[in-house]
This record gives sequence, structure tokens and C-alpha cells, in this order.
Amino acid sequence: MLKDITFGQYFPGQSLLHRLDPRTKILLSLIFIVILFVAKTPIAFLLMILLTAVFVEMSKIPFGTIFKGIRAVLILLLFTAAINLFLTKGQGTPLLEFWVIKIYAEGIWRAVIMAVRVVLLILISGLFLTYTTTPIALTDGIESLLSPLKKIRIPVHEFAMMITIALRFIPTLIEETDRVISAQKARGADFSSGGLIKRARALIPILVPLLVSSIKHAEDLATAMECRCYRGGDGRTRMVKLTYRTRDFLMLLFVLAIGASVFVLNHYIPILLPDLYYF
Amino acid sequence: MNILELRDVSYTYNRGTPFEELALDSVSVGFEKGKITGIIGHTGSGKSTLTHLLNGLEKPSSGDVLLCGESIWEEPKKIAQIRFRIGLVMQYPEYQLFDETVRADIGFGPRNMGLDEDEIARRVDEAARFAGIAPELMDKSPFDLSGGQKRRAAIAGVLAMRPEILVLDEPAAGLDPRGRTEILGGLRDYQRSRNATILLVSHSMEDMARYCDNIVVMNQGRIYVTGTVSEVFARSEELQSVGLNVPEIARIANGLIRRGIPLSGDLYTVEGVRRAILSYVKGECEC
Ligand SMILES: Nc1ncnc2c1ncn2[C@@H]1O[C@H](COP(=O)(O)OP(=O)(O)OP(=O)(O)O)[C@@H](O)[C@H]1O
Ligand SMILES: [Mg+2]
Repeated sequence: MLKDITFGQYFPGQSLLHRLDPRTKILLSLIFIVILFVAKTPIAFLLMILLTAVFVEMSKIPFGTIFKGIRAVLILLLFTAAINLFLTKGQGTPLLEFWVIKIYAEGIWRAVIMAVRVVLLILISGLFLTYTTTPIALTDGIESLLSPLKKIRIPVHEFAMMITIALRFIPTLIEETDRVISAQKARGADFSSGGLIKRARALIPILVPLLVSSIKHAEDLATAMECRCYRGGDGRTRMVKLTYRTRDFLMLLFVLAIGASVFVLNHYIPILLPDLYYF
Repeated sequence: MNILELRDVSYTYNRGTPFEELALDSVSVGFEKGKITGIIGHTGSGKSTLTHLLNGLEKPSSGDVLLCGESIWEEPKKIAQIRFRIGLVMQYPEYQLFDETVRADIGFGPRNMGLDEDEIARRVDEAARFAGIAPELMDKSPFDLSGGQKRRAAIAGVLAMRPEILVLDEPAAGLDPRGRTEILGGLRDYQRSRNATILLVSHSMEDMARYCDNIVVMNQGRIYVTGTVSEVFARSEELQSVGLNVPEIARIANGLIRRGIPLSGDLYTVEGVRRAILSYVKGECEC
């Protein structure tokens, strides 16, 4: 049933990655993405693959769970790889040639690099931002990182509050949908037969109660917030304060060092494909 | 005879995820035809899960649900037919109301059964009577009703299907004492007039004592005690050890028995205990 969708994919745990500050994890993901797109040498990519493997191992999250995320984009991945493989024109003679298809060494290299980039991107951002961070911690982190924007009057707090509330109600809504579906099924409702119109009509007994209860939730929440004198972000303190700890600094330093070495490698090791960026 | 039976049924929520939760643990229990059976247990003991399994809303992880000796999952395509025979009123059923009028909403179930309009109208009126819904409410929007009235409308929506077995998950929770007696009394009337079987989940031992023939006590996903009302209430210490209270009057009767006064009869209603004490006192005088 609907409830079997574990919301947000957060995977409870106590690993170092779980305990990092959400802001650190957001920054780490960004740095990682930059590194991935700056890297040009094979050694750099090997280094990144190794690093990702270490993080995956550290998080103690089952391999299968993490790779589910990749399965979702597998088609896209294969498609881009194929395009790179077949459409890249190299300088030397083609390695393989039949009919109109010519495959160059550069094509293979580019297809592999693109694939590695996308896979690592998904793995790392998934690992940092969804598997080891609760959605609420993530929005707190985003709010805190964006808070300088308050100076130019962007309502960062209200924005984060909206996201938090929306996230908070997703499980509730899923649970209620489940209950309403069950209740109407118990009254003999049939959602899976008949034509398009009949099926659309069959949704009414589910949508009406959900709409009614959503509006009621919104009203109740608004009242509850007013009763506790909620007046927006100004002067508001937090129950859970985000604090950077030593481990956050060490981790950032570590990944920055990796980034620096990738940058240096670009300059000192012959680059296989200078025009990697026409894409 | 057991019309409905669970055989070695287990049920796990969120199977195969880190949020796995064993809600029912090899439960075997039978429900007698034409009787009202109460299901009682501490919060989280698996009562609601049990009701969902009985109605075929959820499929047991292992084990079988038998209706008249046949597994209800024999032919999964026919499960809708089973649901018409075993009516389920879920916990807090108010949220299931959706139609424009109370009348139309109560008619939703019978309409799904494919009955003709005359029959639907007849059943809707009958169900509204059992559930105690005033005629002038029938053409109102269900969203304009009070909480208690919504509850009645939701119960009527299931009664209108005339199920031979009726499963109710705390139908009277959160209602005032008069509302409770009216709803539970209406259910008993329905049971008598149709010779139906009722399974009643409740937290109230007083209600159990008053309306039920048999009781099933659940604890942490297992059946703890089953038996007739007097059999179960005679074991008040065991019930208290799993956080349940027997009615005050049954506690008094049990206390008297422990102090050597042999009482017999219905020892869980005030009337029954009064009779037992009176006949004991009379017996004492005669010898
Ligand atoms: N949808 C669900 N997902 C996961 N676990 C659930 C779900 N529903 C119930 N549970 C768990 O199953 C167990 C039994 O729950 P159930 O709702 O059957 O209890 P109950 O006896 O009806 O309690 P109450 O008296 O509070 O209604 C509980 O431990 C609960 O946490
Ligand atoms: Mg329950």
C-alpha cells in the first residue's frame, strides 16, 4: 500500500555522515559537484570513485538501498552514454566502423566519464542529503545557509517554514489517503475497473475527504501557531540549534584538500581530452 | 459454530524496511455465529490490524482467514464480495463521509453492491434507524453534522450493506454516555433482527460486560485470553497485569469470592452481582 513508500528515504543510523551538521552536508555536496565537473584526469576520477566508496561504506547503508536511486536514472544514463559514444568525432582513425557508425577512442572516454560523473553525483547527493539527513534537518540547514539573504528582504524563514510544514504533512497525508482508501474499499468501492471516466469518478470518494481534512489541518495548524504567538522569524529562537563541530571542519577541510589536489592534477598530468566541455 | 476464524495469522507492517513492525504474532481465534464478541486490549496491541485482516483490507503475512471454513483469499478477485458479507467500521470512521447528502453517503455501499434504487432507499432508511440518525438530518451535507452525528452516519453507511458479520473498531470512542448506549444498543438491535455476528473492539470493560457474549483479550500482538464474559472477568488479576481494568462490580465480586463467599451467576453487571449476593444471603439464612 501507499505506506510502504518509506518517505524521503531517510535511513536512521549513527554513522559519522548521520552526525554531520546538515549545512556541512549541503556544502560538501556542492563542493563535490564542482570537483566532479572540474576533474579532467583519469586519476582524479579514480580518486573520486574511491572517496565515494569510502563514504558509502562509512554510512552503513545497505548497498541495495543506495543503488535503487541509480536504477531510476539508468535509462537516461545509458541513453547519454550511447549518444556520447556514437556522436563524438575524434581526431585519429575510428576504432570501430560499420555502416554509418564510427566509434573513436574519445567517444568511449567521454561516454565513460559522463556516466561516472552522473553516477557519483547521484550517489553522493543521495548519501549526504537524503539517506543520512532527515528532511526537517535539511530545511533547517538550507534556512541557515540562506539566512544572509534576509538582508535583502528575501523571506527565507517563511520559505523554510513552508517547506518544513509541507514535509511534515506528507506522511500524514499518505496515512490519511491509506485510511480513506481502506474505508471506501470496505464499502465496496472499486478503483480498478471500468473506463477512464468511471475510474476518475471512483476517485471522488477519496479526494473529497482528503481535501476536507487538508483544509481542516491547515486551519488547525494556523490556530495552533497563533495560540503560541507565532509571528514569523524575527527574534525566534530554536529548540535544536545547529552547531558546527570539529568533525564538520575536518570533513570540509578534507574534501577541500581533495578538490585542490584534483585541480593540481589537471595541470600536471596530461589531459586525455581537452574539449571535454563542448557538451 | 465459528463463522469466522483466524488460523495462525501473523502480520508485519513495512516488511523489508528498517521500520518493520510485527503487529500480529501467530494469532488463532474463532468467532461464534450470532454472537457479539468483544475484542479488547491495550493501545497498540493489534486490534485495528486484526479488523483490517478480517475484512480482507490487508492480506496476512502468513496464516489464513477463514469465512465459513473457506479462506477469504481463495480467489483474490472475489474479495469485494467478501467485503459485502463482512462489514467493517474503521476506527474514527467520520473521515470516510464524502457525498452531498447523508442519504447519498449511506447509500454508497449498497450502490456499489449494484442494488436497485428502491432497495437502496429501503436499506438506507433501515440503517439510519439502527444508527439513530434523525430523519431531518438525512438531506443535510455530512460535513454540517456534529462529530457524534457523523459517527452515526458512517456506521449507517456500513449497516446499509446488511453484512452478516459486522466488525466495528471502537464505534463509541469519544462519545458521551448517552451516545454510547444509543449506538451500541442500535448495533445489538441490528444483530438480533438479522441474526448477525458482531465483533466489537472497545476499550471499555463496562460496555463489554453490557453488550458482549464473548471476549477476546489481546496483548502485544497475541491473543491473551478468550472466553465468555464471565470466564474472562473471573481472571481479573491477569487482565490487570496487562494494563486492563475489569468493571468495578466484577472486582468486588471477585474480592468477595476470594474471601470465601461463593457467588455464582453473571458476576460482571450490578444486577447480576446483586442477585448473586441476595441468593447467597438467603441460602445462608435457610441453614
Ligand atoms: N500503518 C502502520 N505502519 C506501521 N506500523 C503500524 C501501522 N499501523 C499500526 N502499526 C503498529 O502495529 C501495532 C498494532 O497497531 P494497531 O493499530 O492494530 O493497535 P490497536 O490495538 O488498534 O491500538 P489502539 O487501541 O490504539 O487503536 C502497533 O505497534 C503499531 O505501532
Ligand atoms: Mg486501533
